[in-house]
Amino acid sequence: MTTLELRQVARTYPGTVALKDFSVSWTGGNIHALIGRNGAGKSTLVRILTGAIPPTSGTVLLNGTEIRFRSPADAGRAGIAAVYQELSLLPDLSIAENIHLGRLPRRQGALSHFVDWNEASRRTEELFARLHLSLNPSTKVGTLPVAQQQLVEIAKAMSAEPDILLLDEPTSALSFAEAEAVFALLRTLAARGVLILYITHRLGELRQLAGTITALRDGVCGGSFPAADVTPAQMVSMMFGEDVKLTRMLGHEPGTRTVLQVRGLSRPPAFENVSFEVHEGEVLGIAGLLGSGRTELLRAIAGADVPQRGDVTVNGAVCHPADPSVMKRAGVAMAPESRKEHGLVTGLSVRANLCLADLARLTERGLVSPGREDAMVATAIRECGIGVPDQHMPVSALSGGNQQKVVLGKWLATGPHVLLLDEPTRGIDLAARAQIAQTIGTLSARGLATVVVSSELEELLLLCHRILVMRRGRIVGALDGATTTLEELLAQCMEPT
Amino acid sequence: MKLSSHTIVLEAVLAVLCVILALAAPGFFTAENLLNVLRNISMQGIIALGMTMVIIAGEIDLSVGSAVAFAGCWMAWLTGHLDAVLSPVPAVLLAMIVTIGTGFVPGWITGILRTRYGVPSFITTLALLTGLAGIAELLTDGFPLTPFPEWYGSLGGGYLAGIPVPAIMFVATFAVILVLMDHTVFGRSVYAVGGNAEAARLSGIPVARIKTAVLALTSALAAVAGILQSSEIMSGTATTAKGWELDIIAAVIIGGTSLTGGAGTVRGTMVGIVFLGVIINGMTLLNVNEYWQHVVRGGLILTAVLLNRMQKHAHANGATA
Repeated sequence: MTTLELRQVARTYPGTVALKDFSVSWTGGNIHALIGRNGAGKSTLVRILTGAIPPTSGTVLLNGTEIRFRSPADAGRAGIAAVYQELSLLPDLSIAENIHLGRLPRRQGALSHFVDWNEASRRTEELFARLHLSLNPSTKVGTLPVAQQQLVEIAKAMSAEPDILLLDEPTSALSFAEAEAVFALLRTLAARGVLILYITHRLGELRQLAGTITALRDGVCGGSFPAADVTPAQMVSMMFGEDVKLTRMLGHEPGTRTVLQVRGLSRPPAFENVSFEVHEGEVLGIAGLLGSGRTELLRAIAGADVPQRGDVTVNGAVCHPADPSVMKRAGVAMAPESRKEHGLVTGLSVRANLCLADLARLTERGLVSPGREDAMVATAIRECGIGVPDQHMPVSALSGGNQQKVVLGKWLATGPHVLLLDEPTRGIDLAARAQIAQTIGTLSARGLATVVVSSELEELLLLCHRILVMRRGRIVGALDGATTTLEELLAQCMEPT
Repeated sequence: MKLSSHTIVLEAVLAVLCVILALAAPGFFTAENLLNVLRNISMQGIIALGMTMVIIAGEIDLSVGSAVAFAGCWMAWLTGHLDAVLSPVPAVLLAMIVTIGTGFVPGWITGILRTRYGVPSFITTLALLTGLAGIAELLTDGFPLTPFPEWYGSLGGGYLAGIPVPAIMFVATFAVILVLMDHTVFGRSVYAVGGNAEAARLSGIPVARIKTAVLALTSALAAVAGILQSSEIMSGTATTAKGWELDIIAAVIIGGTSLTGGAGTVRGTMVGIVFLGVIINGMTLLNVNEYWQHVVRGGLILTAVLLNRMQKHAHANGATA
């Protein structure tokens, strides 16, 4: 039986400790879940185990022998394979070719420069038979749904017959039904004796899937227990510590006037028949596990994707979100989930990015007025507390926190009535988080209606007056931000068992 | 837009080159020759200014050479047919209005296909490169059309206050596009659209309209250049301006505009096009073999891009250090 043991493993970076004195022991034939919020040290652990970085101190033992990897290839030879959230498959090639990429079987003798496609196909079929997968090796990967592509990715990792398989959030892009196929494959692999380390944000299914649950909290082990014994409340304390201090940011109560009203909004299969209201000065949270449809909902309200049915009313005016510019005119602003892909033009300066959403207001007699631009940029930098020495710097040179503040500042310049924030603090340090939370508090106190989507549930409790819970594309509950506990919120987000 | 160090370096190199040529090539540093250089670059230059916007917006137009030939032939064909019913002056003027008025159509089509159906502008304009040349041949039946009155030649070959007319048009176009790109909302949007189309869309910028507009505008500028060209050679000739698209794209790239979109300057393109004109003129004055001129121009494109990359690289390293 394969065993993987970590003894006092630590990894420090200049200025930060990513992982400290982490000790755990995992055995083969089992699925071991590793949970923790963003920045808790999960990725650092994966990088150590796959040979991408060495630990600063501590030892890793594989089957009782100490191992030291100098490169990812070392880890591969030792029998450790990894699958990541981002797929590494080539969509225009067949499944068989993807699985054998870089090591396609050759034909014999004089034809040894030619690929033996029959052999590649045969090997792939053998592999799939072992894994109980029914996919045709000659299918183009790009034609498969994402869930099946993820199965191919795992099969590819398994074709080297590793003893240990690391999965870094492999199902985060999948809906619950789609993820089930991946879970079935993981159970098959575990039954064959493979040691599976499964890193996930999807806490809902863990108790059915995993054998043990280990939590990382700010680089230290937050506990490691058999999954069957762990309650949602325990998961919370493992991830966040016993003393979860909830200091609420909001000093005001929301008004009574409805600013945003969403009626029967649907965009199947992501979400269906969603209705809610946000009042003046209210901060509304939307909680839900990954795949629950929360990002898609925000995008539809902002006009980024066109909803199939339903409408959105802003300050009494009904809008059909057909395009972001329509919703911008109605007073809706959205800071999207991925800053670099959707929020910023990274090649342009901080100044240019800050003016991007409100170019029309910069002009005087048809030309951009530098004076107005200066004023807009200065206001945004001050209001959002953007730490930038020179506004002509490319926005790509800023830290994640400051980039997020630029996105926020860009939209605040438009004077919105409704602000939609999708994961506003993802990948951001604590100081920047606090600043963004403070900005949200200040703006809502002035009457802005805000909707916040976040996978960090404790953050929603800190920020929001009211929290809606989404599951499988529907709103299933509404909780009071002030009185709800983290345990209650997490329990609501999970599938009822 | 802040001036990039690339443009400044390029301008310095250009200045040095001019000094060397002034010393080495007799006749280079005379008013007559310099005006001649300006005239030679002005028609390609007018189009290069539009191409700069297209490339910054993340698109490309390979059809501009054929668009020049087409516009010249279309202008000649219209003049010839209108001549039968109108006196020469209104015939030429009406033909000119129609030619410029229809000149934007190829670019507009490229923009519509790009933004509604996702056809890459590379493909559409490659098709137009062949198609427009074909239409020009059909209009002229393979022979130059010569319906123009004598005075028409002063447009492409004439002088105003001692300066070639095309050069005046070039400088005027430069001024307009410089203001457009640096001082209007439209220009800002072009940079945003080319830098990150999705982020621009989510910011409420009309991405499709911006892309279509720059393509259509460049197409119309090619028609203007086509009219000037037809005036200079006093005919509509289908085989004219072959390969211009590559010279024009080369000038834009030498000027520091990134083929991946989102970055570049109109001023850089101006320097790039002058650079190419001066090199060709200098080599001709020094009696350098024409074949060598091609080789030198090729080397120039590579050197300029390499220089730009190395500067960016050094800058990126400096920023992280």
